[in-house]
Amino acid sequence: MLIVQVIVNWLLLGSLYAAVALGFSLVWGIMNIVNLAHGAFILVGAYAAYWAFTQLHIDPFLGLPLTMLLLFCLGWIVQYVAINRVIRAPFLMTFLLTFGLDLLIADVVQLLFTSDRRSINTAYSGFGLTLGTLHIPFDRLLAALIAVLLTAALSLFLQRTRTGNAILATGMDRDAARLMGIRIDRIYALTFGLGAALAGAAGAMLVELYPFDPSQGGVFTLRAFVIVVLGGLGTPWGALAGGLVFGLAETVVPLLPGIGPGYDDAIAFALMVLVLIIRPRGILGKAFYA
Amino acid sequence: MQPPEPRSRPGTASTHMDSASRQLTAALNSDQKHETALLEVEHLESGYDETRVLWDISLEVHRGELVALVGANGAGKSTLLATLSGLLPAWIGHVRFAGYDITHRRAEEIVRLGLSHVPQGRRLFSALTVEENLLLGAYTRRAGSQQAIKQELEEVYTLLPKLRERRRQLAGSLSGGEQQMCAIGRGLMSHPELLLIDELSLGLAPQVVDDLLSALDAIHREKGLSLLLVEQDVQIALERADRAYVIENGHIVLEGTGSALLQNERVRTAYLGA
Repeated sequence: MLIVQVIVNWLLLGSLYAAVALGFSLVWGIMNIVNLAHGAFILVGAYAAYWAFTQLHIDPFLGLPLTMLLLFCLGWIVQYVAINRVIRAPFLMTFLLTFGLDLLIADVVQLLFTSDRRSINTAYSGFGLTLGTLHIPFDRLLAALIAVLLTAALSLFLQRTRTGNAILATGMDRDAARLMGIRIDRIYALTFGLGAALAGAAGAMLVELYPFDPSQGGVFTLRAFVIVVLGGLGTPWGALAGGLVFGLAETVVPLLPGIGPGYDDAIAFALMVLVLIIRPRGILGKAFYA
Repeated sequence: MQPPEPRSRPGTASTHMDSASRQLTAALNSDQKHETALLEVEHLESGYDETRVLWDISLEVHRGELVALVGANGAGKSTLLATLSGLLPAWIGHVRFAGYDITHRRAEEIVRLGLSHVPQGRRLFSALTVEENLLLGAYTRRAGSQQAIKQELEEVYTLLPKLRERRRQLAGSLSGGEQQMCAIGRGLMSHPELLLIDELSLGLAPQVVDDLLSALDAIHREKGLSLLLVEQDVQIALERADRAYVIENGHIVLEGTGSALLQNERVRTAYLGA
């Protein structure tokens, strides 16, 4: 029975990690920006959900659309005011700018909420489905389902709608997109806003599951990076694939004989190096997508 | 080109009837020219960052004309097209299209006015399907014109039947000729008045080039689509063109009808290896 429980834990965690990386993958793939402030957006999402829960008694899951809307607006503004200035600048400039944003946002969050650890306890925290010895917590199950749903929704939006196709086209060839009459400044603002909204959703779900403090943004940026490299750019499903592989490092691998817990990061990065050697474009990365 | 003389002038200058009527004729001619010249480029200069590529370029494309722009590698042909379509900013000079001054307009707006640019190297959205590429070509059409877009798509498929066969295939998986077809089809989807095509024949087999040119000929003749064709293959270009310009080191050095330039000594020695 233990093996089933481990697999369930792995799937739940892996899906959640997909949500962590989804926005990061979108922004990197379309705008070619490695957004070091991604973790800060997750942080804002987490604290927005925390604030809404403690002050307004809005359930984090039910409040998800609100959190995402807030983060979408934040992302739109950040793109318009700041990112737009470095969009064609050398890679290092985008690193500097988004790193600066990360520090700024994390410090503002700390100023507003102090550096105390915060957590949310809903009425259903700790409850779950129990099948014999198998236990599936409701909140984790819900978070995993929403993560998969967000992945599917983003994929459908990009593939099936006119605006989604315009986003993909802009990511593939910005000048050709301009020749089609696509306003790429609007596409970039929309993309960055969506990326931030997805980060916000991840944050709101994380704060429901784990205690949170303002120093954790960087951890999630790093994880999102590894997940995206693992899964590959060019499709939201890459984030899910990467998330699942990354989840292995924390759930399954420590149980293998002779390994044990405490090596999560080493295992995750070893997996990343391995994938890069075998399949440099990532598990689901697209060949024509460069 | 001088702006047209005011119309009232001939009436007031009654003592110099001859010169006045000549002025009137000049004004009318000039007016007519304004109406017929679809694209007017005057003293245009542009380039990349600090490097000037184009020097004092002036040219015209009239409605229904097929104009060729020929010249060697690096002469500035692609730079000129990129400046016309708004991908590159113009430094000096004017570009007028269909009565609008488009010198400083953005590429996104220029395509809406009916000037479509098929860039060098096709520049397809390679991870999207052929049909998705074509539909993006109609991006300027507002939502609600679904019917018109569908009809346009049908026309492109009729003109280039290979694209219909390949419609569900990723654009990046097409052969070179099919990619060029797709790029031209995509350029047509915005329903342009003027189509700029950069290096139609580059890297394609002669048979494929012939097919593409016949397809273009068909729309050129039937629909009155105006074409500005940039070509390295001078023979092909001059044979087909109503008029042509020869560009060297960023300057226009020759212009004339296609057949006249084919006979031109300078063209023959420099480009046709005669």
